[in-house]
Amino acid sequence: MRLRFIGTRLLRGAVTLWFAVTVTFFLVRLLPGDPVLAVADPNMTEELRAKLLADFGLDQPLPVQYGEYLLQLVQGNLGMSFRQSIPVTTVLMERLPWTLILTLSAMIATVVVGIPLGVLAATKAKGWVDRLIQVAGITAQSLFVPSVGVFLLYVFGVLLGWFPIGGAVDPDATGLAASLSMLHHLVLPCLSLVFIQLGGYVLTMRATLIEALGEDYVTLAKAKGVRPASVVWKHAVRNALLPTTTIAGLQLGALVGGAVLTETIYAYPGIGRAIFEAVGQLDFPVLQGAFVLLAAAVVAANLITDVAYGFLDPRVRTS
Amino acid sequence: MRRTLIAATVAALAVAVAACAPSTPGSGTGTTSNSGAADRLTIGTTADVVNYNPLVGNSRTDSWITNLMYPKLMQMDEAGKRIPYLATEWAYGKGGKTATLKLRDDMKWSDGKPVTAADVVYTIETVDKEKFGVVAGLITAFDKAKAVSPTEIEFTLTRPDGTFLDNIGFWMPIVPKHVFEKAPSVQKFANDSGWVSAGPYKLTKVERGQRYLMERVESFTPKPSVKEIVFRVFPDVNTEVLALRNGEVDVIGNVLPPATAATLKSDAKIKLQQIPSLGWAHLQYNTKRKPLDDVRVRQALAHAVDNEAIRKIALQGFAKSSNGSVLTPSQPGYADSTSKEYGFDPAKAKALLAEAGVTSPTFSMVYDQADPNIAKWAPMVRDSAKQAGITIKLQGLERNTYLAKTLKRDFDIYAGSWAVMDNPPANLGLAFKSGGFINYAQVEDPQLDKLIDKGQRALTPEAAKAPIQEAARIIHDKVYDNVLYVETFNIAHSAKWTNFKPMPSELLSIINPLSLAQVKPAG
Amino acid sequence: MTLTAAEPTPRRRTWEAFRRNPLGTGSAAVLILLILVAVCAPLIAPFPEGYGTDTSQPPSGAHWFGTDDIGQDVFAQVVWGTRVSIMVGVSASILAIVIGLLVGVAAAYFRRLDTPLGVLIDLSLSLPVLPLMILVAALAGPSVRTLVVVIALFSWPEVARVVRSQALAIVPLPYVSAARVVGGSATWIIRKHLFPGVIPVVGVSVVLTTSRAVLAEAGLSFLGLGDPNSWSWGAILHKAQMSGSLASAWWTTLFPSFAILLLVVATTLLSVAYNDARNHRTR
Repeated sequence: MRLRFIGTRLLRGAVTLWFAVTVTFFLVRLLPGDPVLAVADPNMTEELRAKLLADFGLDQPLPVQYGEYLLQLVQGNLGMSFRQSIPVTTVLMERLPWTLILTLSAMIATVVVGIPLGVLAATKAKGWVDRLIQVAGITAQSLFVPSVGVFLLYVFGVLLGWFPIGGAVDPDATGLAASLSMLHHLVLPCLSLVFIQLGGYVLTMRATLIEALGEDYVTLAKAKGVRPASVVWKHAVRNALLPTTTIAGLQLGALVGGAVLTETIYAYPGIGRAIFEAVGQLDFPVLQGAFVLLAAAVVAANLITDVAYGFLDPRVRTS
Repeated sequence: MRRTLIAATVAALAVAVAACAPSTPGSGTGTTSNSGAADRLTIGTTADVVNYNPLVGNSRTDSWITNLMYPKLMQMDEAGKRIPYLATEWAYGKGGKTATLKLRDDMKWSDGKPVTAADVVYTIETVDKEKFGVVAGLITAFDKAKAVSPTEIEFTLTRPDGTFLDNIGFWMPIVPKHVFEKAPSVQKFANDSGWVSAGPYKLTKVERGQRYLMERVESFTPKPSVKEIVFRVFPDVNTEVLALRNGEVDVIGNVLPPATAATLKSDAKIKLQQIPSLGWAHLQYNTKRKPLDDVRVRQALAHAVDNEAIRKIALQGFAKSSNGSVLTPSQPGYADSTSKEYGFDPAKAKALLAEAGVTSPTFSMVYDQADPNIAKWAPMVRDSAKQAGITIKLQGLERNTYLAKTLKRDFDIYAGSWAVMDNPPANLGLAFKSGGFINYAQVEDPQLDKLIDKGQRALTPEAAKAPIQEAARIIHDKVYDNVLYVETFNIAHSAKWTNFKPMPSELLSIINPLSLAQVKPAG
Repeated sequence: MTLTAAEPTPRRRTWEAFRRNPLGTGSAAVLILLILVAVCAPLIAPFPEGYGTDTSQPPSGAHWFGTDDIGQDVFAQVVWGTRVSIMVGVSASILAIVIGLLVGVAAAYFRRLDTPLGVLIDLSLSLPVLPLMILVAALAGPSVRTLVVVIALFSWPEVARVVRSQALAIVPLPYVSAARVVGGSATWIIRKHLFPGVIPVVGVSVVLTTSRAVLAEAGLSFLGLGDPNSWSWGAILHKAQMSGSLASAWWTTLFPSFAILLLVVATTLLSVAYNDARNHRTR
């Protein structure tokens, strides 16, 4: 049963990935920007230009290019960057670890802060603590990332001098110092990402917990004389965690979007910034590769959520 | 309790990833970090290197870094005059169909091989054969080159061209033949590792998206005073300024937006260095489109721009008038003091339009949305034109779309700027001769062509001056180009450093090889 | 469900519950104020154009929000920005909701379409939205229309998902089946029974999608992909960024950022309050 469950999820992941690849492939190519400009120099002779385009496969009809791309993709080959004349995989693999560090740490920090806040709000539902938490969560979520970025950089970077301006690590530091320097650089961008995600977690946790607190088994537990705090944590929170897990999966998209703006403002050398740069340079292979990677990340995250869901809630596995 | 546990997990995770992150250095390059400012100069830039091949890469960061690695034949002094670098002497032969160049003999590639005439010959032949980059468009007169001795080259030209030596001297980086010739196509040679270079600094380490580390070449004469140069990548000038203010960078490589320069003026920890531009900002009217083919309509448009306000407000006064001439004050040898700007005069513009039989015309104006100055004055052009009854629709485009449009000449009005126009006879040829590579206005004027040709054939600036001034007057009178201003660039650096050698243009600025070879800590 | 639908005043009870929540009414007031500002922009401040001699001045009596680096009044920019930002937000949201509603209802009503449409919705939800928007906006050229279409194009799946799940609950209900048996045409049934059933969810969705669209617009404009011929909050921030004054001329950054925050917080709080009020009703 479980194998089949994981099998169908894997299949779905593969389909999602294919869909993302296809959509981005055609989007990138059907738009009016001319990739030839990115590759060829206007000074070039016709014949050199034709040769160069042929080298990049840009002279082929679209379906052929598409087929070729899929074929290469299956073999793990993302092509060559138009602009940098190096493999896309190299370009992206330099960036991937940073985006992973940033998004994962932001996700963990959000959960760590968001869930207790949600629980607190739910147990004090309709009181002023609840309202305060709601408003704070929603306000944080509604902040415009670049504005917050500049504000944090100015206050904590220039005025107070607590954190460095941009970058991901002091490249001269080694060993433990390097890791500390990474954390040091991580604080502000991570904080920005926590802000924009926090509301979602807090509100979902709050809403589902309020619902769960009204359910029969909680009432039963209360009736049996279990301590109220214990009821909340043991019985209700566990059930409320399920929808929150889903939110984690759903929010990944927002997280990735936020990462683009965050990485741009904080000069964080991740995938998001690579995408923005590649758009500016019409570097299709890099763009395409970055999207494949992002889609793969979302698929993987959803897979993990699904499996986690399966463990948390036995009904999913059997149905 | 639980919270600290998770925080610890995050830390552990970060450490773990740090250990396997490819761009995190291992033991470093043996330099001690933060051991005093004198050892390291950090320069902020807003872009990564796109291409390390100096013959291909043309973004600013590309040029700044490859300029330090690959020598040019000549460099330029503050007045835009050519001075020796790799070449020590140069001259045209009789009749102007040959040219000779002598090289210094003490420069070495980083692998120990000497820089010789063969490298120069190889470079120019490759550019001519594969036809790429700026240089290809500038050496149309090139026929062949011969290394007469390891330090002497003789060029043969197809026609007399007094711009040839200046062009290759300033624009063509010399690459090592023994390395580049191994690539099947130099155009596609990425040159992204194991660099063999010959400039005052060599590139030792690259962390994309973060920084580029360059180390002094001990044997280079004169020996650079700073041991290491680091280029750090920032997303935009706002963060660069923050980093300069808190001491994380020493120089901002990019030109400051005028408003920022105005605010930094009062900061005692920051020094501003002013650098003249070799180019100009301008409006060009597509002479192949109706009614812009009528000179009176173009003149009306020229009268409908408030140049003075653009210089004063949009540029905050960091701009000079060029008197409406394409021969700017940065070219004292050519500048024509009799030229006069059209001047803002909506009534006159209306009268000219009426004379041409055009009522309330509408034009679209393309420009690069990412250019901070132009994005600022484009709306001013639109608003002042309105007073003359002219409607201008702004098309602030993303850079690539903008380039595509200009290349196809698909616009009514073009707002932009030339970055480096270092040699009037050569530049006017590219920009205004029939079929010229950057002839955006699509000018086809036989008289103008003849004058520019005459200017290019002249072997000395003195001889070129008369025809070129005549050509510039035609360009002004027929409004083939409406020159708005010549910007005064502001470059910011920390007051902890001194002795920069500024050179004109953003490409050279205060981070040109000469400047970085002599910069030193202040006090 | 059928029982509550039969009750006489569910809407009224929702309203009563909503009215008692200060967060909800406060947000509604803020939103109405913002909409008034957007509608009455010409009465409040002249359209920001041209230039002034007082460049980069901090807030004062003459210029409440200060001036930017070409001497334009930031207050006027924010007022007119409200108009464009809300317009882009609302139009994008309406477009997204029309698409989402059609897809969602079609998926729920036509059995055969459910699987493919459901998969399509799920797949679209997993696309990295902002990067794709950047790509499309950059390549399609900047204009208000591009922004609206681009934002709508990537916002509808969220609506479709919500609508579909709501509609799926309605389709099996007796009165819908009855209508089918009687031979009511599909369009008639959808119009008469499905739409009214999903409208309450869509109401919340409109508000949320609008606020998301406003944020997306701000993000795109900030990255320089906005319309140079009009003012939006993101465009003001973009100009401040280009002039390098994000941190020094704080007033050019603070006020538009605050406007964005105000709108998004108000819409979110409004929808939360509305949902709370509706839940009150079902309990």
